[in-house]
Amino acid sequence: MEILFIFFSALVLYGGLVTVFHRDLVVSALHLAGSMLALAGLFFILGAHFIAGVQVVVYAGAVMVLFVMVVMLFDLKKEDSVLFSKGLWPKIASLFFLIGLIAGILPLSLHLFQPLAAQVIEPTSTKELSRLLFTKYVLAFEVLGVLLLLIAVGVAVLCRSQKNVTTS
Amino acid sequence: MDIGLNHFLLVSLLLFSIGLFGVMSRRNVLVILMSIELMLNAVNLSFVTFSQFYSLLSAQVAAFFVMTISAAEAGVGLALIVIISRKWPKRNFLFERDPEKEKKY
Repeated sequence: MEILFIFFSALVLYGGLVTVFHRDLVVSALHLAGSMLALAGLFFILGAHFIAGVQVVVYAGAVMVLFVMVVMLFDLKKEDSVLFSKGLWPKIASLFFLIGLIAGILPLSLHLFQPLAAQVIEPTSTKELSRLLFTKYVLAFEVLGVLLLLIAVGVAVLCRSQKNVTTS
Repeated sequence: MDIGLNHFLLVSLLLFSIGLFGVMSRRNVLVILMSIELMLNAVNLSFVTFSQFYSLLSAQVAAFFVMTISAAEAGVGLALIVIISRKWPKRNFLFERDPEKEKKY
């Protein structure tokens, strides 16, 4: 359990770092896919099996394929002459944000950690999760379906070529 | 060593700040979109962690919704990037700073 946790979290953080810092877009996208797969492993350790499966199918299967396909098909892959934007303030701001988050979260989580240490993580049953999804949150579920339909139609309209727009 | 709540929260925090750094300091729009995905994933990890340690199933439903919405957001963002690179093929998706135009305003 500990070894698996260290392995998967190191993989997640390594994939994220390569995604942000690498120059080549395809390498960056593939490392992001690897990071998401490792995150699915973390979900599996936590016992959320359904979420882990959805993570593999949706992120590593759909979103990352979309990214890689756009990069390769539309030939957006050009070398950046300058990797990072000018100006030091975004870096300093994100560093201070990280320090503030750590300072805020450590006392809280150390306090929370003590009584929970003996608690064993039990895997959630997918049955309970789906019952909750289709009774209490059914309205949000339907709204999400409408949103996805809207997104599909909107993207299809946006990506029509300009000639069709002028002639129709 | 026992793996507890704060270990997962620390991983989630580090992943979120890596994504934030990417959004704030990279110039390429595609990498910025990928960094947004990283941040959403970090938030998902903290949702699932809290749901498992406090046995709150609603947090997992929230993580499921976040995944769906981030897939939709990636679709729209990539469509916009394709349009931008089609209209301005020379300076695609690099937000160049033009010092002369900045002087005017």
